[in-house]
Amino acid sequence: MSRFRPDFHDEASVRLDGVSLSYERTGEVLSEIDLKLASGSFTFLTGPSGAGKSSLLKLLYLAHAPDRGVVRLFGRATHDLKRQQLSALRRRIGVVFQEFRLLSHLTAAENVALPLRVAGRKASSYRQEVTDLLRWVGLGERMDAPIPSLSGGEQQRVAIARALINKPDLVIADEPTGNVDEEMGRRILRLLAELNRRAGTTVLIATHDLGLIREFDAPVLRLTNGMLVKDVEYGGAA
Amino acid sequence: MSKETPLLPISDAREAALYFVVGALCFLAALAALVSRGTYTAAEAWSAQVEGEITVILEDADRRSADALAGQIEGLAGVVEARVLTREELETLLEPSFGPGGMPEGLPLPLLIAVLSDPETDVSDEITALAATAGLDAEVSAHSGYARDVRRALSVLRLVALGAVALLAATAIAVIAFATHAALLARRDIVDVLHLSGAEDKFIAGLFERRFWVLALKAGAVGALLALMVTALIVFSGGAQGETAAQLLPQLSLDFVDLIILTLTPVLAGLSSRMAAHITVMQSLKGTL
Repeated sequence: MSRFRPDFHDEASVRLDGVSLSYERTGEVLSEIDLKLASGSFTFLTGPSGAGKSSLLKLLYLAHAPDRGVVRLFGRATHDLKRQQLSALRRRIGVVFQEFRLLSHLTAAENVALPLRVAGRKASSYRQEVTDLLRWVGLGERMDAPIPSLSGGEQQRVAIARALINKPDLVIADEPTGNVDEEMGRRILRLLAELNRRAGTTVLIATHDLGLIREFDAPVLRLTNGMLVKDVEYGGAA
Repeated sequence: MSKETPLLPISDAREAALYFVVGALCFLAALAALVSRGTYTAAEAWSAQVEGEITVILEDADRRSADALAGQIEGLAGVVEARVLTREELETLLEPSFGPGGMPEGLPLPLLIAVLSDPETDVSDEITALAATAGLDAEVSAHSGYARDVRRALSVLRLVALGAVALLAATAIAVIAFATHAALLARRDIVDVLHLSGAEDKFIAGLFERRFWVLALKAGAVGALLALMVTALIVFSGGAQGETAAQLLPQLSLDFVDLIILTLTPVLAGLSSRMAAHITVMQSLKGTL
């Protein structure tokens, strides 16, 4: 795997300037975060539980707005965007969660197709794309399987396929290996790395699994007590 | 992926209860609308019947003078017919007071002239003047006076019935709004995933709109069908038909307009539910993801 190049493209996919975030119950969870993720970069975000990893990711996939500072995605400040514009921006972002967040009453293929349905596309127009993507994540034979019948690893791969079906510019994964065994976790991270390498998609993965991180030659951001204390640290060579 | 599964899971126990509530409200609303219309129809029919009628009561007059006055009245503009009632006709009129055995012999009865005139023309004063000229002691009673009172009373009844329809419709809308809010909370996970997938609020609102549109349409159809059955039962058992006092009751007829009301009930229920769901979802999603 080639080494990470921080400024591979001129335009940053993600840029945070002086961003802070507080919750009413817990107080400040992120403090004065400055961050830049170049377009096409592959980055890990790590830190202990409660460090603010998920909160930082929520700012990036637009689930929260910061109390202070500016979040820019694809060169655009997000704080003054209307709801419709936020929705349009979210279509450029694929999100993978630890707990998968799949719709259990839909099949694997229907879950993958969800962003396309939301975009108003007809089933006949995306059937092949969904099939190809599910094959790529190794679930070509399980397309019509109900979600509850899938294993944790399979569900996570469905979630990854759903995050990628829109060909997003940015993929954010929040502890994607948290609910799968080590081998499946490795496979999932490799899928995301392959996506980054082949499609040039910007990938940010939050994980506390340092063992897996060391297998990838990618920069690591570390959050502690809501502060980004080390913004670039290379993992061990894969 | 041959047929797309709805993004909101198919109904659960809560929806069955909602189905019942909306159905019951539609049943009551349809019935109230039919009663409102029946009241109006009864008022119109009864008023049309009595408004052109005038009764002239003659005290201490003989039959010949009464016939002469009736002839003069018939000559007035707007009068269709004027005739002195026979003793048999008077007995029929008084039968509710004296019973079928008839009136006691020798009971003095006034002479009555029944006048039928154009409802638009009030000839009461002219009849009074004619009677005075003829030297007769006449009391002229135009039925339009109490027809007006009855019409007013029936208008109030009609307003009450329409108010009941409006109240039931508002209740149905409130119930749907409440149910939508509950469903939105229950399906928060789905709503979040849809938002993260780039769905706009109106897309999510559309899912709930379709759900409650179909629910209200089905429940409304059942409610309207029940209202149709109840009305048919009343109509065909003759419950609201008959003579005299019964004519003042709402006349449920199941005519074309009634069938239109029954047909529109589920459609209006569906549209109102759709609107309630749309507003509720759009309001609720403000301030979320």
